[in-house]
Amino acid sequence: MKASTKIFIAATSCVALVGSLSSCTLSSNSGSSGNKTLTVWTYYSDTGQKNALSERDAVFEKDNPGWKVNQVQVPFDQMDQKLLAAAQTGNGPDVIANNVVVDFPSLVGAGVLKDISGEWNGYADKGLFPDSSVWRSNGKVYNVMSYTNLLGLYGNMDILAQYGITTMPTTMDDMEAALAKVQAGGKYQGLAEAGAPQVEGAWLFMPWLLSAGVNYCSLSSHADRVTATYRRIAAWAKNGYIPQAAATWDQATAWQKFMAGDYAFGLNGNWNLRDAKTNATFTVTTAQFPTNGGPSVVFPGGEGLGIFAKSKNAEMAWKYLQTQWLSKDAQVRNFQTSGSVPFRSDATSDATLAQDAAALPFLKATTNVAAWPHNPKTADMQISIGKAVSATISGQQTGEEAAQSAMAGVAAAQKAGGGGCE
Amino acid sequence: MLQPRRKLVGAAVNSTLTLGPGSRCSSRCSSSSSSSSSSSSSSSSSSSSRLSLVRLRHPQNRNRVQQAPWLYLVATGAALTGFALYPLFVLFRMSVSDVGPTNLLSGWNVIGTQNFTDILATADFWMSLNRTFGLTAALLISSLGIAFFCASMLLTASRSTNIVLGVMVFCWAMPPIVTSSVWKFLLDNDGLFNSALKAVGLPLVGWLSSPNLAIWSVAIVLAWAGLPFSVMVIRGAMLSISPEITEAAAIDGAGFWRTQFSIVFPQLRPTLWILAVLTVLYGFKSFDFIYVLTKGGPGTTSSTLPVLAYFSAFNGFNWSIGAAIAVLTIIVVAIVAIPYMRSVRKEVAE
Repeated sequence: MKASTKIFIAATSCVALVGSLSSCTLSSNSGSSGNKTLTVWTYYSDTGQKNALSERDAVFEKDNPGWKVNQVQVPFDQMDQKLLAAAQTGNGPDVIANNVVVDFPSLVGAGVLKDISGEWNGYADKGLFPDSSVWRSNGKVYNVMSYTNLLGLYGNMDILAQYGITTMPTTMDDMEAALAKVQAGGKYQGLAEAGAPQVEGAWLFMPWLLSAGVNYCSLSSHADRVTATYRRIAAWAKNGYIPQAAATWDQATAWQKFMAGDYAFGLNGNWNLRDAKTNATFTVTTAQFPTNGGPSVVFPGGEGLGIFAKSKNAEMAWKYLQTQWLSKDAQVRNFQTSGSVPFRSDATSDATLAQDAAALPFLKATTNVAAWPHNPKTADMQISIGKAVSATISGQQTGEEAAQSAMAGVAAAQKAGGGGCE
Repeated sequence: MLQPRRKLVGAAVNSTLTLGPGSRCSSRCSSSSSSSSSSSSSSSSSSSSRLSLVRLRHPQNRNRVQQAPWLYLVATGAALTGFALYPLFVLFRMSVSDVGPTNLLSGWNVIGTQNFTDILATADFWMSLNRTFGLTAALLISSLGIAFFCASMLLTASRSTNIVLGVMVFCWAMPPIVTSSVWKFLLDNDGLFNSALKAVGLPLVGWLSSPNLAIWSVAIVLAWAGLPFSVMVIRGAMLSISPEITEAAAIDGAGFWRTQFSIVFPQLRPTLWILAVLTVLYGFKSFDFIYVLTKGGPGTTSSTLPVLAYFSAFNGFNWSIGAAIAVLTIIVVAIVAIPYMRSVRKEVAE
């Protein structure tokens, strides 16, 4: 045999071997013990939510012999790109918990999410869910939410008591007065909040505008209110009420800072309630997001639950969603372990929720939530707000400049997305 | 019979095209190391090159290369096509198309130069380009100036030199995600640096949160990460200079630094030229450190071209805009890389 032929055969064999090994790795759905695996992608980072999942998964595996749940924790800011890549390759999860308020149009458009209209319409308990928990595109259901997450105000009462503040501020003016007192004391920091130049910065800032009667769709119509609000945040940053470093903080970082005990206030979500109760070394009190001229209004957050369009285990994935997320027991348990507010009416009225004083402001917040903009470029709209918030807190822009760039960015994104919003 | 050997050397030199100060190894580094008899460390790539040369000296192996050159060509061509040319083709195609979430998988509409026109009309692009140039300028100062100084200090073979070089290699070999996370911790408002400043009564510095400082903090971290590579390259080149030249300078009364600047520095010009080009490439492709340290913030003050491209594509889901920014970056880098390629070709010819 010629040397070149030998090399060719050897190379071909290697390629074939590698190919067969990789195909085994990629396409295998069964473990060595014969178990089938249901893969779930989430970006949960806090202990409460992860523990809640683990506990429920153990029950699911027990109830469904031969099935094993594989929880994959994807970094929050990489979830969408990984899902989009998965849609390209066809090799992805079975169940998805995605950041529905930002990525829904993109994931539906890219064919990541399975149309679950049939499953949802056949679901016996669907009547217990509010319409806002069901995400549709062209009349088809792709995401369902089992719980909602909302923003509120956390207070370190040990710090506040030192400055004679015994009740949580309810308005922006009250908040400013309290922050001024803490700042004047020189011992503690004021407000820990996320100001990263991404969607998280927008998520934390928009409730101020919502309370002033401004939403994404009416930004340019209320330029004076937008400017005034940005100007006030700029003043807070300039006075040191918000640390300059908050301009790069995400929500997890902001929460860590608050939990360290040096901050009087923290603006964050109800998913941190359990952590606050179990791990805080100081007295924590909660309140609704302070108002800014109108009632307290926040956006309803939370994860959309869906099934990967190319999942080979779609039937089991839907069963998983029903028992692990959509059932009353699952939602109450999720509330107990993570603080996420259930969507099901029979879970919301459960006595467990009413007895939780710290959760009450968040439960009350569910009664007055704003609608997300309906535009394919909603992510761009939110990022424009977030960049302006970060620029304001860091001092890169004045309040006026930030308001102008935010309004221009949102308007451009809205136009690029076809002009729709409401 | 020297032809195959020369081809192999040429291939090894060409491999520097894909390497930068942040890369894990360089044939420039290895060739410098191998040419230096007193170099204390020998890289794995130089060992592998030597091994290949030994193999080629074997008549049977030489015959194989001569009999079936196409096999080697096919393998190289396939790898190049699969991992470089095809992705580049897709990138260019995406940059002249309208690609969004709804048509990411298929049906890209070609829209010509619209994406480029849109990008070039935005202030964000030009500000990011300026920042990228600023960052690259800072890296050049570090890679050429500071690295030259450090390499000069590390010329003497001693135990302490070996320890310093060992530490540098260790820092260089660490994954960027690890080093940038450590630096983020150090530069945080409550981090080690600010704690030290506070301890001595100095005001705190917003290393990563100040809009005027963030990009330079990032530049320092990038320079720190790339410095070991530059030092090793320059040191290797210094060691390859004939001792007779420096000894002659010493006899003529030149001191150490005078010799370094007046005698050694001119001798290093080809190496420094290539290092400068690699540093420019490093500056234009740096993403991981910036992403971890600031995510382009605060605001947009540390957003360079790769960061802008990434966030346009993966956060805003504007893939074609992200691709167009990447293409523009490639064009800028190509303008800089052409002299480098000519320089390499000239070196191979010599």
